[in-house]
Amino acid sequence: MDALVSKYGGSDLDELHQIEDDDDEVSSSLPQSVSFILPPIDQPAKFLRAMTDDHSNPNAPIKLKHGTTTLAFKFQGGVMVCTDSRATQGSWISSQTVKKVIEINPYLLGTMAGGAADCQYWLTYLGMECRLHQLRHKRLISVAAASKILANLVYSYKGMGLSMGTMLTGVGAGGIFGLYYVDSDGNRVEGNLFCVGSGQTFAYGVLDRGYRFDLTDDEAVDLARRSILAATHRDAYSGGHINLYHIKKDGWVKLGFDDTNPIFWKQKLEKGEFQNVSTTLDS
Amino acid sequence: MGGFDFSNHTRNAALMAAGMPAPKATSTGTTIVGCLFDGGVVIAADTRATSGPIVADKNCEKLHYISPQIWCAGAGTAADTEFTTAITSSNLELHSLSTGRKPRVVTCMTMLKQHLFKYQGHIGAYLVVAGCDPTGSHLYTVHAHGSTDRLPYVTMGSGSLAAMSVFETQWKKGIDRDGAVKLCSDAILAGIFNDLGSGSNCDVCVITPDKATLMRNYITPNVRVPKELNYKFAKGTTAVLQEKIIKKDELRRYITVTEVDAKGETTLTTDVMQVDA
Amino acid sequence: MASQYMLPHVQQPPSFHSTASQPRQHQWSPYTENGGVILGIAGKDYVIIAGDTRSSEGYSINTRTARKIFDVGSGIVLGVVGMSADGEELARKVARRIDDYKRNHDKHITVNAAAVMLSRILYAKRFFPYYCQPLLGGLDEDGVGAIYTYDYVGSFEREASRAFGAAASLITPFLDNQINLKNQFVPGTNGDEPRKPGDLPMDRVEKIVKDAFTSAVERHIEVGDGLQLVRVTRPPPREAMEDEEEVDEREKTAGGGVLTEVMSELKKD
Repeated sequence: MDALVSKYGGSDLDELHQIEDDDDEVSSSLPQSVSFILPPIDQPAKFLRAMTDDHSNPNAPIKLKHGTTTLAFKFQGGVMVCTDSRATQGSWISSQTVKKVIEINPYLLGTMAGGAADCQYWLTYLGMECRLHQLRHKRLISVAAASKILANLVYSYKGMGLSMGTMLTGVGAGGIFGLYYVDSDGNRVEGNLFCVGSGQTFAYGVLDRGYRFDLTDDEAVDLARRSILAATHRDAYSGGHINLYHIKKDGWVKLGFDDTNPIFWKQKLEKGEFQNVSTTLDS
Repeated sequence: MGGFDFSNHTRNAALMAAGMPAPKATSTGTTIVGCLFDGGVVIAADTRATSGPIVADKNCEKLHYISPQIWCAGAGTAADTEFTTAITSSNLELHSLSTGRKPRVVTCMTMLKQHLFKYQGHIGAYLVVAGCDPTGSHLYTVHAHGSTDRLPYVTMGSGSLAAMSVFETQWKKGIDRDGAVKLCSDAILAGIFNDLGSGSNCDVCVITPDKATLMRNYITPNVRVPKELNYKFAKGTTAVLQEKIIKKDELRRYITVTEVDAKGETTLTTDVMQVDA
Repeated sequence: MASQYMLPHVQQPPSFHSTASQPRQHQWSPYTENGGVILGIAGKDYVIIAGDTRSSEGYSINTRTARKIFDVGSGIVLGVVGMSADGEELARKVARRIDDYKRNHDKHITVNAAAVMLSRILYAKRFFPYYCQPLLGGLDEDGVGAIYTYDYVGSFEREASRAFGAAASLITPFLDNQINLKNQFVPGTNGDEPRKPGDLPMDRVEKIVKDAFTSAVERHIEVGDGLQLVRVTRPPPREAMEDEEEVDEREKTAGGGVLTEVMSELKKD
């Protein structure tokens, strides 16, 4: 691929080509510095599953942070990314202020669902790879390429117990918007609209109802917020704050991190929604 | 006797197999002890009741009345010790009435062990039985599966090792009443401080041929420390969605009202709902 | 072969050959829970991290004087609960890495850099996690109090207050109420103006911390014996420092923060 680019590409890449020759595996290089410590037993994955998987084993000693609603959709103004901010460990709400949108670089965002540490670590690592790509090739990495680096990476760990369901989105070279769903099973899917997490069905319900590609920026903001609000209302594992980002041609813009509670009451009392919640004493 | 309802057993076993946790019983992870002395017997207990690692009751009573001269200290599942001793107390009373004799400690112990053996350990009651009867002063332990022991000094519960260490170093033959009370309370304190399942206060009961004296909270070494701040909220801190005022004369539409005169006697007794009984 | 998958950069563990004739290891449990609770609160120009000093196993007390808050150097403190062996090992490792940083770069590490470093240390053991929940505290480059909280495998977040450990479920609602002023409004505004958290004076926060612990002691069997409270504050002006002759041994300046430790008694039942 790099050989093709340098053969047919512009002259500015010629200088860079010399450097690349020293490094024989550029695009698939993995960090040689990190090494993971494994328990000294036959089946480390089985051990980890016994100690951490709280679905099949609710009494596992180590409970990782879970539970989420995240969404992202493409529209005429770019990409809208919106998440809740709750982290749960079993039935315990361990945080209401999690930043589930990870700022990889000024052009790329990743969302967090599944294991919080896995998402934080590998998306940060992806940021590093993207920066290296940029230095090597003198242009932004495409979202397609970035998502593929991540997908290949997590696939190499398949069966080891990584848990992540992430949406990778942003603008690549030439101002092309990209949106990919990547998970720890090895899936990598391109699409216009995704909701991920325990509250995904509730978010899809609202999002699918109101989605059009030609949504105005303001309409897109409202729809994203309202979809997450619906999920936080019905999914016990989602809640906290609504975290909102808009990706435009020249990179992402953060639009807010707002407590759901006042938003809910505003929506109910001023717009007359959520009539299922009663506020009167007589019934 | 018994009257257990097993109709939910199969359903609950299925639910538990599906991963639903069993409801937690309040257990008295406990220290209980007993000691014979010249002319009577002493039993003592701590007052902590736990539910897992949480203290459910800081000052519960683990010394149970059986008959005027027989008392019982209970460890294990709180409800089981409570009901096993209550049932035995009733049956012993009936037995005493039909025989026309004062109840004997050995009778009580036998009734308890037969009841517990019948249920094969499913009734989680671990008891120290003590009392005086026409045959003398007696001290027994009864385990949940039905085995019993007869000893001059005994300890049971999660703090039994801590308590026994006190008995094994300090107990002497021919100990007197005050010595036995001191020894028992020291053994309980060892349990309170060294066993996480035991805590709070020390209850003691002294039984002699003429009377039984319950000394509730004989030692209170764990008084709650005062708070540094007070946590009153200013009126209006909580948002109000809607307000509705119910006048006193409308009150009867919502609740049952009982008029109480100055002496505290109720004058209206129809349809009274007991609150805080 | 330790794993059926070829891993790109996983260090293979020393292999334990299992043959049919040898006894098979069915359950290997390297973890134990030692109880206790820690609590951290960050203020405008201070950080308070406190923990009880009981270390237990089941119904037995291992020691009544175990410190859970560690001075890891450069004005940074680390609190750990869970399995004390892993906690102490982690504290040693962090202290060593902070010292390395200082020697390599000839400057103190900042709290936020230390926070990322701790995250990487935890994630290196993603497939064999440390069984402890760490809480890192110190003053940031602007002298503002910072608390970083982690899960077992290194996901982290900067927060204003946090309780970890056995009685976390008892203390957290109290913190939500008294520090973050959740669901409270300015009286008279009837729900229009929420009470704003922040700017609590340090002496009030210390009292809140003490009250949180005396309450936890009452209702949780694994909490008690002693209270270790560590403050990180800005150093006093130079002159004041020289005047003061009797400085506590543990008190030292580093990375912009001064550490003071106060030990007090808690109920022992």
